Amino acid sequence: MDKNVVYTDQTWQTRISAPRHKQGLWELVKATPARIGVGRTHTRPLTKTMLKLQYDHAQAIDAVRSEVSRECLQAFDLFSVDTCFQDKETYLKRPDRGRVLSNDAVKTIKEKCLSRPQVQIVVSDGLSAKAIETNLKDVYPALLDSLEASGLKPGTPFFVRGGRVACMDHIGEILKPEVLVLLIGERPGLASAHSMSAYMCYQPRQGTIESDRTVISNIHPNGTPPIEAGAHIGTVLKKMIEQQASGVRLQW
Amino acid sequence: MKTTITLLNKTYQFNNVKELLAKANEEKSGDQLAGIQAKDAEERLAARHLLAELTLSDIREHPVIPPEEDEVSRLIDEAVDEKVYQIIRNWSLAELREYLLSSQVTGKEIDWIRNGLTSEMIAAVTKIMSNMDLIQAAGKIAVETHCRHTIGQKGVLAGRAQPNHPTDDLNGIKASMYEALSYGVGDAVIGVNPVDDTPDNIKKILTMIKEEIEKWKIPTQNCVLGHVTTQMRAITEGAPADLMFQSLAGTEAANEAFGIRIDLLDEANELIHKAGTAKGPNRWYFETGQGSELSSSAHHGVDQVTLEARCYGLARKYKPFIVNTVVGFIGPEYLYDSKQVIRAALEDHFMGKMHGLPMGVDVCYTNHMKADQNDMENLALLLGTAGVNFLIGVPMADDCMLNYQSTSYHDIASVREILGLRPAPDFESWLEQMGIMNNGRLTEMAGDPSLFYTV
Amino acid sequence: MHEDWITSAGIDVGTSTTKLIISRLKINRVSGSFALPRFDIVDRKIVYRSPIIHTPLKNREEIDVETLSGWLSDQYQNAGIQLQDIQSGAVIITGETAIKKNAETILHHLADHSGKFVVAMAGAHLEGILAGKGSGALERSRQVAGVVANVDIGGGTANTVFFKRGQVLGTVTFHAGGRLIELDDTGMIHHLSPSIQPWLRHHNIHLTNGSRIDFPLLEHITGQLSQDLTDVLTGQKSLDQLKPLLHSTTVDNIPDIQDIIISGGIGSLWQNIKQPANLRDVAIYKDMGPLLAYQLKQILRQSTFQIIPPLFSSRATVIGAGMQSTELSGSTIYVDPSILPVRNVPVLSIDLTGITGTDDLSQQQLKTLIHEKMLTGKKIFTENEQIPFALSIQGLEHCSYRFNKNLAHTLHRSYRTLFPDAEALITVCQFDMAKALGHSLKLLAKDDYKIACIDQIDVKHGDYLDMGEIIPPSMVPVVIKTLAFS
Repeated sequence: MDKNVVYTDQTWQTRISAPRHKQGLWELVKATPARIGVGRTHTRPLTKTMLKLQYDHAQAIDAVRSEVSRECLQAFDLFSVDTCFQDKETYLKRPDRGRVLSNDAVKTIKEKCLSRPQVQIVVSDGLSAKAIETNLKDVYPALLDSLEASGLKPGTPFFVRGGRVACMDHIGEILKPEVLVLLIGERPGLASAHSMSAYMCYQPRQGTIESDRTVISNIHPNGTPPIEAGAHIGTVLKKMIEQQASGVRLQW
Repeated sequence: MKTTITLLNKTYQFNNVKELLAKANEEKSGDQLAGIQAKDAEERLAARHLLAELTLSDIREHPVIPPEEDEVSRLIDEAVDEKVYQIIRNWSLAELREYLLSSQVTGKEIDWIRNGLTSEMIAAVTKIMSNMDLIQAAGKIAVETHCRHTIGQKGVLAGRAQPNHPTDDLNGIKASMYEALSYGVGDAVIGVNPVDDTPDNIKKILTMIKEEIEKWKIPTQNCVLGHVTTQMRAITEGAPADLMFQSLAGTEAANEAFGIRIDLLDEANELIHKAGTAKGPNRWYFETGQGSELSSSAHHGVDQVTLEARCYGLARKYKPFIVNTVVGFIGPEYLYDSKQVIRAALEDHFMGKMHGLPMGVDVCYTNHMKADQNDMENLALLLGTAGVNFLIGVPMADDCMLNYQSTSYHDIASVREILGLRPAPDFESWLEQMGIMNNGRLTEMAGDPSLFYTV
Repeated sequence: MHEDWITSAGIDVGTSTTKLIISRLKINRVSGSFALPRFDIVDRKIVYRSPIIHTPLKNREEIDVETLSGWLSDQYQNAGIQLQDIQSGAVIITGETAIKKNAETILHHLADHSGKFVVAMAGAHLEGILAGKGSGALERSRQVAGVVANVDIGGGTANTVFFKRGQVLGTVTFHAGGRLIELDDTGMIHHLSPSIQPWLRHHNIHLTNGSRIDFPLLEHITGQLSQDLTDVLTGQKSLDQLKPLLHSTTVDNIPDIQDIIISGGIGSLWQNIKQPANLRDVAIYKDMGPLLAYQLKQILRQSTFQIIPPLFSSRATVIGAGMQSTELSGSTIYVDPSILPVRNVPVLSIDLTGITGTDDLSQQQLKTLIHEKMLTGKKIFTENEQIPFALSIQGLEHCSYRFNKNLAHTLHRSYRTLFPDAEALITVCQFDMAKALGHSLKLLAKDDYKIACIDQIDVKHGDYLDMGEIIPPSMVPVVIKTLAFS
């Protein structure tokens, strides 16, 4: 008996044994990322289809529970501070706590960061530490290139553990950047457990509303291409500075 | 009104009905987030004991949100049939619970009594009912509605085909829709959540579904779940829509955050009855879900069960064809785990049916909730036994556009199979003609989307 | 939601007729507001059609450029369009006109004087593709399973293109057309095209300029021509067997055709054709066109093909040129606007398909690969030292930052070494990565040479590329002239 079982995307595929239109079925399956044309055993799905769904869910669960490694942060010289999130369970139940930096965090960033920078870069795990582990190495340096190509100057970047999107506002109050970009892990989906968003805001402050933020979402190798997202952020930030606006008020 | 209760020498004080209603709830993370939950399990039970003692008039006379501040409160209060109310106003909530569960009371009696009830009374009695209570009482109420075809008959479990696509690609939507039909799903509605909420796009999708319905003579109705104002523009520009869709909240302020008011819904109601493509009396599809008011900070300190009931008070004004509570979509800060999701679904289904609404449930969860597909399968079966009008069908339960998990086409077929339920009658005849179903069971041919493939 | 229209012109200078159309192309953002911007052409409208005129000729060998230019400026005036409003489009010289002495001069003259970005095209295969787009054959092929052929038959050539599921399979051009024999109603042959002579000889038919032909012989000739054309399309006869009929081909064998569309002048005659009874009926346009249309219709009808009416027949090519020649690049790109527009740049292609990151290919391997490719480019593309070629990068669906950086370094070093005088480097990526690569290249090139890095355009080795000025917010119109097929 061969002791090694190897699953690839092909192995997981289940198909209908005798479809009405073989070519037609193939075209339908190709037309959507939805899990169709998977076949059945009476009313229940085939084993591989079911296990694949459970496997994708398992990845998503692990992404929510995971932590960003020290190596990942060190590679880009990011120091780490916490919000008031306490622990993972509280983080999930109390989004308000992830929007405020801890007292220690406030002190640390006041000490370490350039005040009133043109561009403040912040990275946070959010709902998927895996998103940061997977994409930061592509998004972050492409973003630095795009700042250089656009003639923009970054301040002192750092990492926020347990952050929610609106932690931008608290950081904005403390450091008063002209624009701020937050790279944060998205709520994991089944298609991707490691998808990242970039939230950008002109002069973020307490009380900034959702529609004042510009977002690029779904950044991961099979979604919005990470290097292209990073390259585009510089252009967006430059426009924000030129127009002194962000979100829905930003003109294209 | 009674405000204190002593249980075994321990006295509990509650300031008002609003507080009592909140504290009597089963544990929900949303109530914790709002800071209105009972401080411990004993206080929760004290609240429930006291609530059981209150009369229906206590609830009506102490509105959780004053009518002068909120149009939903006014609508609910004005809808009360005073003759019925006078008869039952002194009933305690305990008595109402026992009445609903008694063997003499059938759907007919409930049809009568609901005219004297406000949404808050229905929410109140829900809080002193167990899960099985909620299933048994809801099971008495069959709500039949008719748009292009009728659903909601006893013994019928319909399904919404939800063939969403991450870029609204028409071929992608079609492919997923064919899969649904091949599993016998789509009798409630073929309804797409658009990514791009513009009149042009909504018209394009509505037209495509309409053409497919006509081409295959499918006894169902179409809907694209854009914002009501976008759909109105699409319909005015000639888009063929059987149903008008809108998400509802339970307070005026929360509805404002959704960009709607009652007068806007009235206007949309007139339009869909005038320019809609269906002939039947029921032309609306509403969605609700516990927690939406708090998420827009428009909850007035009221708990999410009571607010959810108020959504139904608003919905019934428009005699909808289907109402769907999207129970676990909003995230763990409102419903933390599967226990809370299951409870909320049974509450919502019961409360909706008590309002005389054709309730369906989107049995669902997101990946940051403590729940999995097994929990959803359990809940789907519970709802099947409770007589839910319809469930949501998504390919393998994974919605590739909304990024959450619901129930699958397979699951709907399975609930029917296990509980002996059937598709809507017109739809079942059509499935038989297509060779997909025979005597209520899927045939060999079923489950093959290429049955509908033509070039 | 962003919505914009651009104006596009199409000009077709054919063997017998010339025509122009002006169209408007609607450009919409097609990506969601949380995605990177992506725009596409979502609607096409014809806003002006010129009358169809006889192509003005000075003599048998030369096009009358003054008359043609004068006519075009009259048409623009009639359409109410200024030259600078034309942002895209194509001018094509087709059929036998393309072999006139001054064809190339005129082509580029027209391209330069018809708007800001009007591309010059010539060649039977391009003509065939444009006609197939304009007749609706391409669109039909997206809707049916089998191969859709479009045969555009004009005065001198029958340009045939095969589409399957929206892809071009190939083109074949035959010497078959209505004006190959020009005659009057007495049967006097006024002009016999040299192109038809080999085929006539192949069938032992001997005609000369100035001689007379009778109706039965003309019937025989058009009948045989129709039969041969049909036989070769159905596969009854191979391309080899009918070499004298063949003008050029990009395929060795004709694919299995399901649907066929006949466009061009013959296609438009075909619609209401009555059986010509004598030479007078035939020679109404002073050529054999009506009889050829009639015979072809009879013979093709007996084939197994499903015959589909064209959306446009005599205007198919001009509509293809005006409405469907332009593509849009991706919208996250890096282009130095001062180099635009660029015209007729040959494509050098490097295939990195299957490469996913740094592990698959060492830096040394990448260096060697690119350097060798650029050496090839230096050998074969010697015409333009400023922009010798556009480098097409195939593959790299998932390009990591590290690989992107290595790629930029490697490209920079080789290009600098081999093309020290080049003014700009143009790269065309298959996948969405051009802005990141463009930034990396720009940071290396500094002000030494300029960078244009665009993406989401499929070009292959041997194609030619034209690129227009930036369309706001951030894309360029591109016309690909495909000369090779996969």
